[in-house]
Parts: sequence; C-alpha cells; structure tokens
Amino acid sequence: MSAVELLAVATDAAGDSTSVDTSFGCLTIDVPPERWVVVATAIRDDPRSDCGFFDWLSAYDDRDAGLAVAVHVWSVGHKHGVILRTQVARTGGWLPSLTTVWRGADWHERETFEMFGIRFEGHPDLRPLLLPDGFEGHPLRKEFVLASRVAKAWPGQKEPGESDADLSSADGPSRARRRRLRPPGVPESGAWGPDQ
Amino acid sequence: MGVTPLTIGSGPGGVGQLVAAEPMRFQVNLGRDFSLWVFNVGLACCAVEFVAASISRADIIRPGKTASTPGAAQAEVMVVSGTVTDKMAVAIKRIYDEMPEPKYVISFGSCSNCGGPYWDSYCVTKGVDQMIPVDVYVPGCPPRPEALLRSLLTLHDAIVSADAARS
Amino acid sequence: MTPNAGLSEPSGAPPPPRSRGVIGLHEANCTSCMLCARECPDWCIYIDSHTETQPATTEGGRDRTRHVLDRFAIDFSLCMYCGICIEACPFDALFWSPEFDYAGPDLLALTHERDQLREWMTTVPPRPDDPADGEAH
Repeated sequence: MSAVELLAVATDAAGDSTSVDTSFGCLTIDVPPERWVVVATAIRDDPRSDCGFFDWLSAYDDRDAGLAVAVHVWSVGHKHGVILRTQVARTGGWLPSLTTVWRGADWHERETFEMFGIRFEGHPDLRPLLLPDGFEGHPLRKEFVLASRVAKAWPGQKEPGESDADLSSADGPSRARRRRLRPPGVPESGAWGPDQ
Repeated sequence: MGVTPLTIGSGPGGVGQLVAAEPMRFQVNLGRDFSLWVFNVGLACCAVEFVAASISRADIIRPGKTASTPGAAQAEVMVVSGTVTDKMAVAIKRIYDEMPEPKYVISFGSCSNCGGPYWDSYCVTKGVDQMIPVDVYVPGCPPRPEALLRSLLTLHDAIVSADAARS
Repeated sequence: MTPNAGLSEPSGAPPPPRSRGVIGLHEANCTSCMLCARECPDWCIYIDSHTETQPATTEGGRDRTRHVLDRFAIDFSLCMYCGICIEACPFDALFWSPEFDYAGPDLLALTHERDQLREWMTTVPPRPDDPADGEAH
C-alpha cells in the first residue's frame, strides 16, 4: 500500500484532517484525537488497508508538543503495516479507547495509562498492569526523575586531579568557577529531593 | 576439645542455641553439606546461565554434592538469578519463607547483587539482599556457568566451616 | 589469585581468552582522565586523584602539572561487563581478563581496589597477533 492509498482510506473516513508520513520505514498516519476511532476503524475495515492484526499501542513523551500515542497494526492479507499516531495534552490527556476496534489494545492501553497517565475513555478495565500497587507517578514521562541517579554521587563529577576530599572541602570545590558536569537525567542539585 | 556453640534453627522462629562440642558441630555441618538441593528462582537472563550450568557441559552434579529440586519446600539453596523487580520481591520473600531451615541463598548475577544495570530503575529492587539474607554473591552479567559451580563450592566450604551467614 | 584452574570445560580447558571475566588496570598508563568513570553506565568506577607540580627543568621553562592516581576502584557487584570503560580509555589502561572465580559472601568485597586490579593484570592474556600488523607483538 502506498502513502497515497493510505491517505485516501483515511480521507474517505475523516476528511482532510490526517496526514501521512514515513517514520522508521513504516507508513505513519497522523490523526487528530477526535478522529482517532473513526480512522482506526477505517484502516481496519477498508479492503485497501485491511489491518485486522493489532501489534502494539504505546506512547512517547514529545516534550512541549505533549504526549504522542502510536499504534502499529498489520494486514495479514496484504502483508503491510501502518502506524497511527496522535498527540494528547500532558496533563489531563485522554483518548477514546481502541478496544472496540481491536480487542488486543486492552492491555496495551492499560500499560500506557500507568506509564504516561493518558486516560482511555471507554476502556472496559483501565487499571495499572505492570507497576506494583501503590506506585506513584508516571515513570516513562521525561519529568519523572530516577531517584537512584540523584541519590548516588556520580563518580565522573570529579575533574582529573580531584578527589572526594576536594569535593567536600570547606573551601568549596576546587573548580567552583567552572560549571560541573551533570550526568543525563539528574536535575540541578537541590532542585529535586526529599526536602522539596 | 573446646566447647563451641552450635546454632540450630537460628532463623525466624528458630529454637535458639544448642551448645555442642567441636566434633559434633563438624558432623552436623558435614551432614548439611552432604547433598545440597538447589532451587533456582529464574527471573531473567541469569536463569539461562543457571540452566547452562545444570546441563551436562558444565554440570551442577559433577562436584557430586548438589541436585535440582522441584520446589522451594524441598530446597536448601535458593539461587536468585535475574532482576528482582519490586513486584516480584514480595514473591521471592514468600518463597524464601517457605524453605525449611537450614537454608542458604546465592545471589547470582549483578541484578540480584545490587540492581546491576538497572540500578537506577523505578521498579527494580536494588539487590535481593534487601529482602532476604544472602550467603554468596556471584558477580557477573551474566556470570559463567562455571562461576555458579565455583560459588556452590564456596558455599560448601562455608557450610562445613559453619561460616554461612544467617539473617 | 591463581589463574583459573579446572572446573571450566569438562576437558579442563580454560575459558576463551577474550572472555569477559574481570577487568585489570595497568596503572602506568592511567592518567586519571576520568573518561572511564564518566562513560560507565552503572557508575561503578570510582577514581580519586590529585595534582602534582613538577618544577621546570630548563631555564625559564614552565612548571608541569601531573595528575597522580590515588584511588581506582571498580565495583564488580554493579559492573555489567559491557566493556565501555575499556573501549573509552584513550591510554589503554584497562584490560579484559577471563578470570571469573571471585564470588564471595561479602558484597563490599566485590569492589576491587587498585591492588586487586593490578593483580588481575597478571591474568590478562597476551594480545593475539593481528595479521594487519607489520610485526608480531
């Protein structure tokens, strides 16, 4: 199936609201959230796409653009796949559930809900799937800080020629005028912790 | 011959201390060491190395002292191989509690030693020794099957000399 | 610290020479550049060093500063044996060794300090001849 055909399938269902691209070698269709179920149903039912096999649903943190939700579906007859993609807000983001279109979306939506905090309206049983009981927060969001990386001092923070004694000396670090390297995922010291 | 306290049932709910002479202690330790039944809690990749250790190429039975067991209730040694997630840690504690005394734990691989590559994860218990006492730590990611054999011999030596750690 | 003997292959053969058993440190090559400690994904390399000044040897010359290694420790309970430190080291100070028998009852004893890392260097196999080289090593 070509990009033009896929766009035709989506346009027949949802007008001009979608756009087709290629990401990671797979045809990707960007859908506005309000057309989510309509386009998904069309891609499942239209004989040109015929994507009856549900592969995965997940999300990624698109920083300022919000949270992006992506679904990969496959056509067993045509042997082609399609990625459906949409964007939701970071706080209070929600999407209609795809369980009415593909039953396999059930657990995937539960996992996406607990990892990113996106609600799926109409889901039969939206509760956490993998995380332990009482887990607070949505771990796969970029702002979720990994506590171990804050608690453990990064061994690479020292400059060549420094030791632990230099870091904790009363005069302050010997290279105080030069900004210290910070490892990825660790916020500024004092910005996150039990005292905040 | 000095009188050396021999501790029996020193774990939770144990019966306390029994004072015994040196030869008696050696005899009991030798009995404990005679055939250790090993139970593998296979959680991740290290479980594959445990399986590799138990097949004929690098055989657990070759030292002549250990055998695999169908369940925890028949085991003396629990080998925790793989990443201990927070959700799974509860089950591991329960399995450990089901084992009868004397019981020993081998922590196999970096993940069960102290979290390993997942030391910064949001859902990993950084080391199975946060839940249960560990007798031998085997480093590696994953350790070779031969490292497991060596660690079992280390455990054997520790048991015979009654140095095995208790909770 | 004897080289690995027995209990390897049933034939008694040692593990292959490029096996990733443990990491040895060749201190003479280490300049405390901190690259291995920074690249390590597990944050398990701990390096302390200090600076020494060597006075100028020539008339009107510049004083030289030298970094001297105080502490070099690798926490093998955390290490995931990825080899990034060995690849990152620009001075070839870290080497793989196929030794694997260092399990024990104490978790803290799995942090090997300089002395132990120096001893592991005796078990590092010699570099195999590379046909691309002009001469054997």
